[in-house]
Order: sequence, then C-alpha cells, then structure tokens
Amino acid sequence: MATPIKDVVLDENRPKTLLAEKHADFIIKLFHSEDNYEFAITDYLRMSGMYWGLTALDLLHKRDKLLRVDLFDFIKSCQDPESGGISASLNHDPHLLHTLSAVQILCMYDKIDILDIEGVVKYVASLQQPDGSFSGDKWGEIDTRFSFCAVATLSLLKRMDSIDVDKAVKFIETCKNFDGGFGSRPLSESHAGLIYCCLGFLSITNRLDIVDRDTLAWWLCERQLPSGGLNGRPEKLPDVCYSWWVLSSLKLLGRLHWISSTDLENFIMACQDGETGGISDRPGDVADPYHTLFGLAALSLLGYSNIKMVNPTYCMPQEVIDRLGLKPQVLA
Amino acid sequence: MHGRLKVRSTEEQKLLKQKEQQKKLRAYKYAMNQVAATRKEIPFNKDSLMLCAQVLSVNPDVYTLWNYRKEVVLQQLEMSKDEEVDDALVSFLENEIKLTEQCLLDNPKSYSSWHHRYWILQRHPKPNWQQEFSLITKYLTFDDRNFHCWDYRRLIINKIGISLCNELNFSTERLNINFSNYSSWHYRSTLRKLDSECLEEELELVQNAVFTDPNDSSAWFYLRWILSDRNVTNEKREELLESLTQLLDMDPDCKWILMAKCWLTGSLSLTDNHFAEKRIMDYKKLKELDPLRKGQYSDYLECAKKAIGTEK
Ligand SMILES: [Zn+2]
Repeated sequence: MATPIKDVVLDENRPKTLLAEKHADFIIKLFHSEDNYEFAITDYLRMSGMYWGLTALDLLHKRDKLLRVDLFDFIKSCQDPESGGISASLNHDPHLLHTLSAVQILCMYDKIDILDIEGVVKYVASLQQPDGSFSGDKWGEIDTRFSFCAVATLSLLKRMDSIDVDKAVKFIETCKNFDGGFGSRPLSESHAGLIYCCLGFLSITNRLDIVDRDTLAWWLCERQLPSGGLNGRPEKLPDVCYSWWVLSSLKLLGRLHWISSTDLENFIMACQDGETGGISDRPGDVADPYHTLFGLAALSLLGYSNIKMVNPTYCMPQEVIDRLGLKPQVLA
Repeated sequence: MHGRLKVRSTEEQKLLKQKEQQKKLRAYKYAMNQVAATRKEIPFNKDSLMLCAQVLSVNPDVYTLWNYRKEVVLQQLEMSKDEEVDDALVSFLENEIKLTEQCLLDNPKSYSSWHHRYWILQRHPKPNWQQEFSLITKYLTFDDRNFHCWDYRRLIINKIGISLCNELNFSTERLNINFSNYSSWHYRSTLRKLDSECLEEELELVQNAVFTDPNDSSAWFYLRWILSDRNVTNEKREELLESLTQLLDMDPDCKWILMAKCWLTGSLSLTDNHFAEKRIMDYKKLKELDPLRKGQYSDYLECAKKAIGTEK
C-alpha cells in the first residue's frame, strides 16, 4: 500500500536560465492591458496584483520602465475616506490585504505621503479583536494572514504603537501546532503560506523566540520534492509560490541551507514560460504575476545574481527596507 | 492562478474564446456597476441581488459582493426585529446558505463562501447545526485534505457540543481508512493533550501506521511529536528502538526509520558515547540517501560529533 510521492517531472527542453527580459515584458504588458479579459475580470484583487507586478519588476532592476503618473492617483482613489482602509480597486470595499499591498507599493516608490496615513493606522487598529487577532475587514473573518498584514502595514508606517502587540503575539502563539507549524486559526492545520505569515509576524514583532525552530525547520525542508520544487503541505504537488513561503520561512529561521538550492533553482527555471515570459505554478501551466514575483523572490533568496536582494519578511527589495531603517528579526 | 494548463489553440478557437470572454466581461461589469449604483437603497434592489448571485456562482472571490449581501441580510434582520420567527426572513437566510453551497461545490477552497455561510448561520433564528455537521462530514469524504472543511467542522462541533470521545473515534476511523492522511493526524493532535494516560494508545496507533508503510511521511511527524513528550519512558523508547532496528533490516534505505532512530537515541542519551557514534553513522547514511536535505543532516552530524567530543 505504498503511497507514491506526488510530484512532477522536469522536461529536458525546459528553460534553464533566467529569462529576465521576457519577464519584464510580461509584466509591463499586463499593466497596459485594461481591455484584456484576464486583467479586467480580476479587478477584485487589483491592488495586490499591482504589488506583485511592480515588485517583480523592481527585483529585475526594471522599475523605471513603468512609471505611470496615474498609478498614484489610482491608489489614492482606492482609500476609503470613512474607514481609512484601502480597496482592491474602485467599486470594491477596503480590506487589510489590499491596504498592505498599497502601502508596500508606495514605500517602494517613496510616495507614502499621498495617503491619509492616520486613516490607514486607524483602520488597521480598528480590526484588532479582543483576543489579539485581526479580522480582514469589518465583516469579521479571522486569519493569521491578517495578523501579518496588520503588523507589516503598521511597521512600514512606523506606527506599531497603535495596536496591542503582546496580545497579537499571544494569538499567533495559540495557532502553533504539534509539528511546529502554524495554521490560519487556533488548531488549524499547518500550511506553508500561513507559516510564512506567522514567522513574518514574529520577525516584525521580534518574537521568533516562541518558535520550535528545529521541529518547524524539519517540516519545512521536507517540503522539497525530487523535482526540486516545494509543496505547501505534506503529500501535495510542488508549486512555485511555495518556493517563496517555505524558503523565506527557512531564511527567517536561519535554516536556508536545509534544502537544495540548485534543485529548487532548476524547478523555478522550468516554470518559466519561454514564449510569453512570466512564471507559472508548475511547468507547462499558464504564467501569472503572482507566481512570477514569488519565483523571482525565491531566486533572490537563493542568491541569484541579476536579481535585487529581497527582504524575507516583507517580500520587498532589501534597499527599501534599509531606506526605511527597518530591521526585522532573522535568526542566525 | 493554480493548475491551469497552457493549451495550444488555433486562430479560430482563439477568436471564439475572445468573443465568449468579452461577453462574460460585459456581464461582470454590468453586475458590478448595478450593485454599486443601488447598494445604498432601502429596501434593497432585487435585481442587483440576483445579478450579484450570478457573478458569485462563477467567481466567489469577488469579496465586495459578499459584503453587499451581508448588508442586505442586516437590513432584513433589522426589519423583522420584533416578530417571533419570521418565515420570510428564514427563507431569505436559507437562500443565502444555498448560494454558498452552490459556490462551495465548484470552489471548495473559497474562503469567502465558507465565511459567509457561517456568518449567516450565526444570525439565523433557527440554525440547523446538525445539518451542517452532516454536510461537513460528507464534504470531508470528498476531500479529506481540505483544511477549510476541517476548520468548519471545528466551528460546528463547538456549536453543538459534540463530545471529545466522538471526535477521537472519528479521527481513529479516518486514520484507519488512510494512514497517510496528514490532515487526520493533525486533527488528532488537536484532540490529544499528551499525558501518561493516552501516550501508550497514541504510540501504538502511530507505530502501527509507520510499520504498515514506513515510506509514507505523515505518521512520522506524529511520532516525532509523541516522542517529544517526557512521559515516554526509557523502557518504551528502547522497545521502539529495537523494533525500528528490525524494520530497518527489511528496508535498509528508508530515511524515515533512520531519522526516527536518531530522535530516539538523541533524546535517550545525547551524551551517550555509544549512541552518538551510532548517530554519526546514521547521519552519514542519511546524507547519501536524501541529498536534498543534506544540509540538515550535516548540522546534526556536527552536533553528534560535539557530543562525543565533550564525553571524551
Ligand atoms: Zn501557487
């Protein structure tokens, strides 16, 4: 009754080097395709989509290729004057996910002042619950993703004093599992994406000491499959976005060397689309800006030259984090 | 986007697809504009609510539309405030529950749909939690790795007060169907507070699993957790070590067995010279067997070497 390992096989003719120019073109094209179906129909995640695209472009040293004046006007128009939160796009409601994305973009361009910063701070603080957790918006969905969004946003704005940090940490601690990982709520199964959110949260709040370091790092390094790709949970297929969630987590724990860099690099390279540019979740799938960013960010953590150094906590260029004077915790 | 295979298509197919997409896009934009234009109306605009349901059935991730529905629900609740139980309200809420079910059948991982469902039930004057419980038990048989389902089950259990014993039996049942289901092991870990009473039982269960299929990873994570407990006696540990050594004879290249042996000898006697030397051999073998993770084994190898150094 042996269970076969779920994995993919890399094709001999796969791309083996970084197609940087093509990826930049892929992203730039996306930003000029308002009439395009895929673009228009995904307006409910536009703000995060712009963060993925713009950060990918920045990591490729191509930020200047996309300086559109209307970008900042757009972001400004997405801030809700009443609550202070930021929405995915016009006609959509404010949400923590998009509030963080907007703040990240504006920090990269050093344009944070165009926002009503007090409004953003008030919005984030208003979403903290009595148990320390955060809801994603006023409708009450609780998730550790939102705890990360809250502290990432506030730390970028240097306003961590506006929430109860100790309580927020306590909540994250209650989400810790038997395997050392974290889930979306207390007692929820460990998942690499949520582990990243919780470790990122603990890195910002300087509390990585509460992690069962070697137990968790073991769970994380077991995510690497024979193809070199990483999955997000045991017995799942590899996926480029987990290259980032798992790798940045290992980096924060000082255990990046517990997986094979060369094998992961091969896998990410194989997920590039040689025709259109961009990176997909697995070889042969349709590329998108989300996997393009997380593929490039992972390559950056692996020390790939020609890609800007990325910060493992914020998934933003390290130079931006340095400029802001932020020093999120990383275990040696 | 996940799991969308890139397909080659002819020019003709492409044109056809584009036409379809433009149609879909027009419908989407129309619905969004309609909702935006009528959102503040009291009482709510029936056409908008219907258009909204149509969009959500195709794409439940359009979170703003769920928010709009919640606003309408609050309106309805407000209107029927003073009456005993309002049938019209109940049927309205049931309709919302149905919509989420429709969305979840196509998108069982839609965060928004799960949240909306629970949100409605919490405000329902006569919520049928028992029905929810049956539904979630059924959903788990479709996909027993969907963590949304497990999370939802936990919420419902708290509502109806199902006993811990019942859930333990359920978990044993799930594990007996399939030992290699990580979610079931995780679920079990949330039901068990490790103490000397349950340790024996848990150790037996997990031992049974790893001996059935030593190459399946799931149960090994559970075993490591059990072994992290101080209440596991040295006697038990030595017994297990003995069994693992026999298992290794049958399957000498199984990395999991080797690793488990190292946990056991590590926690038995980190400073024990004899065991540390054994571990050094095991880690060296692990580096060969599992080169992807050789960085990890090297770190442990160094530790074992140091242990010998301090002993001598
Ligand atoms: Zn992915």
